[in-house]
Amino acid sequence: MDAVINRFIFLLKSRGVRISPSESLDAMQALAWVALHDRDTVRTVLRSTLIKDLHDLPVFEELFEQFFSLPKASPTPELAVEPPPQPETAPEPPEAVVEQNPVSGQPDGGNAHEDALDIRNYFDDESMATHFNSHQDANDLSLAEFGQNLVLSRNRDLLDQVMQKAMQLLKARRMKNAGRAGELNFAEAIAALDAEVIADAVTELLDELGDLDVDENLIKRLSSRLDGGIANLLELLKRYLERELTLQPPPRALDPSRRAPPTVRFSEQERREMTEIVLRLCRRMRGARSYRRHISQRGRISVPLTLRRNMQYEGIPFQPVMTRYRDEKPRLAVICDVSLSVRNTARFMLHLVYNLQSLFDQVRSFAFVSDLVEVSAQFEQQSIDEAIGAVFNGGLLDTDVDSNYGHALALFHNRYLSAVTPQTTVIILGDGRGNRNPPQVWALEGIRRRAKKLLWLSPESRGSWKMGSCDMSLYEPVCHHTEVVRNLQQLGRVTEDLLRRSVARP
Amino acid sequence: MFASIEQTIAQLRDQRYLCDRKLATVAFLALHMRKPILIEGPAGVGKTELAKVVAAALGRTLIRLQCYGGLDEARALYEWEYGKQLLYTQILRDKISRLFEGVSDLHAAVEQLHLHEDVFFSEHFIVRRPILQAISSPDPVVLLIDELDRAEEQFEAFLLEVLSDFQVTVPEIGTVKAATIPYVIITSNNTRDLSDALKRRCLHLFIGYPDQQRELEIVRMKIPALQETLAAQVVAVIRRLRALDLRKAPSISETLDWAQALVLLNADALTPALLEETLHLLIKYERDTQQVNEQLPWIIESLQAQSQPTAAPPVAEIPLRPPLHPAEPDANHLEQRRQEHTARYFTSYRGRTDGRTGDS
Repeated sequence: MDAVINRFIFLLKSRGVRISPSESLDAMQALAWVALHDRDTVRTVLRSTLIKDLHDLPVFEELFEQFFSLPKASPTPELAVEPPPQPETAPEPPEAVVEQNPVSGQPDGGNAHEDALDIRNYFDDESMATHFNSHQDANDLSLAEFGQNLVLSRNRDLLDQVMQKAMQLLKARRMKNAGRAGELNFAEAIAALDAEVIADAVTELLDELGDLDVDENLIKRLSSRLDGGIANLLELLKRYLERELTLQPPPRALDPSRRAPPTVRFSEQERREMTEIVLRLCRRMRGARSYRRHISQRGRISVPLTLRRNMQYEGIPFQPVMTRYRDEKPRLAVICDVSLSVRNTARFMLHLVYNLQSLFDQVRSFAFVSDLVEVSAQFEQQSIDEAIGAVFNGGLLDTDVDSNYGHALALFHNRYLSAVTPQTTVIILGDGRGNRNPPQVWALEGIRRRAKKLLWLSPESRGSWKMGSCDMSLYEPVCHHTEVVRNLQQLGRVTEDLLRRSVARP
Repeated sequence: MFASIEQTIAQLRDQRYLCDRKLATVAFLALHMRKPILIEGPAGVGKTELAKVVAAALGRTLIRLQCYGGLDEARALYEWEYGKQLLYTQILRDKISRLFEGVSDLHAAVEQLHLHEDVFFSEHFIVRRPILQAISSPDPVVLLIDELDRAEEQFEAFLLEVLSDFQVTVPEIGTVKAATIPYVIITSNNTRDLSDALKRRCLHLFIGYPDQQRELEIVRMKIPALQETLAAQVVAVIRRLRALDLRKAPSISETLDWAQALVLLNADALTPALLEETLHLLIKYERDTQQVNEQLPWIIESLQAQSQPTAAPPVAEIPLRPPLHPAEPDANHLEQRRQEHTARYFTSYRGRTDGRTGDS
């Protein structure tokens, strides 16, 4: 039981759901309080203890369906291990369930295909009748699946060897024809499996079954069938493997780069305008105040704090305590598309970011085309022309590939989300043309939920957002604001407005 | 006591609160595992109400802490009564000076005073705010921390100690352990993410809008004066309104208000005219009103389907929108587009087999 839940949690984690050990413990503890035969109750319990974020819910539902049922479409293997479900009526510790469950192999020669109802028929078989009279209720079938997993997971250690071997072979095969990921040739891979490994596994599996308190006749019948051949084990392995494969996140490939882009320089006029904008922004920001008062040397006397500190002097205020609003500094994260299509605006934007960064220490900047890199360090150490040149010239990232917003946003979400706090304003600059790559709106939503404000600046006018492969219509509803910015003045106005609103007291 | 999930449902029903099995499971577990429940969901679906009925069902007192921006520990946990402390020092001045009779030396006086120091930082001078009240109550209580998302993040940190260990540390006194474990219910309207540390300590429950059948039951239970056909019409209209992309979709509380209003107006059936007249009870934003007016024929269609008894299964099941954010785009549409993108992705880009980036 614990092993099954652990495995389930592990898979959830590998899909990006964050689950702490204490939550896992909660889940096990909670399962002890409910009846396990009700699939929906188990689902509710696991959901309420493990899933704390609505966004993770679809992942959970999908995985729950997948995990607590083996695929039924493929032909039934000889070895389909089917433990009898024992409906627990009263709350009882889950460990007990594992120990009580006798495990039985389910011998079946003729039928190639069967559905859930057929499974039930086997339990009417005389030899099993005594064991499985609790199995009359159709509802219990869900538990049968649950139990099936239980046993498969219990036998994991020995299955693991076989699985790993098979996986290695599969992976090796996948490397060879990387273009056809997703199409895996199971038959080939399993046929290539070392025959000895399989033979060992079979004997071990039988031993394991023997340990598990099973009817002796059953084992005999099982082993007689197994002697005939191991083809059916392969079936089981294949099904198991298929499930494991669907549960495993696939690897990622990289693209090579090609040519060198032109350099960029700023005219004196641009510099002057930019300095002016930045100065204006600074004046605005200086005026912003924090939301709560803090103890300081100057400011207004706080009566409760003064009284409290002066209790020692019989309440005579020898030591007044002052509090004041602290000035708050802007926290910015700027994510800038530096592909060719938005290069002109990106130049202004980076220029602004450069200046902001030299004034405030809580500005972080990122540039992307398809991959995303943090450029804060370059901006701090180098002169503006050098820094921006480095970004555009492809020294830091490949600027020649097609821009891929989904990929870049997901990268940001996965790697740099810690840069976004509830005080951070996130500014994204780009036209939202992801070249028909997946837009990954969930990543942007994730950023939005963390950030104080999410602003999207696009150099394209709103009218053209609907044309071509533009994903702005998907991104726009997620952002707090979207603005069209084409030149320096517009950029200055928007940023000023934004910072005033995001920094000033409500 | 909630002895089983079924009994939980029944006991809540006795308090005139209809809930599904999911909610009951969590309410049942929270009592037995002594864990707080964190309830998220849109406004007006009965989050606060749940705390009230749980308190009534368990026969406990309800202590409520309404959160707001700027809420600090002085308002939530405890506060020293400065005035009382001062007053007492003044009143007891004689007594205090009598303490020092026969003490010649300043050092000895300080020593003497030191012995009585904790008198003024004792529980007599502490103002108990809701959380400390809940912790130190001799009888178990239900503690409702309402709309936690309105308070700042720092406040969540104050709660952590209370929620996991059921104790409060007051520096001057020490740690106050809970005499009885309170049943804690935290609600959030999901305007911002709560911290992971807090979520980890809670059982998580999301309450959404109920399905048609349940909503009908709720309306009938809460407003028995409403005629049955009318109730069915009310629910049908509400469901259609929710399917629109409104800034504030009508929730259960609005349904009930509206139903109550219809009872007061002595309405027999919901006519289009009546619907238009009473629409402002349901729609809270100007922009929404416009949108509803545009879609009025479609909404009225559901009325006619309801009034004809032959057309029994009236409205095709409208999928509930994900109640994440008003500005959320239609999820189905998004999903569809995402799948399209994914499909294209397979043919154009190597290496990845699902829609997400494979980055980990």
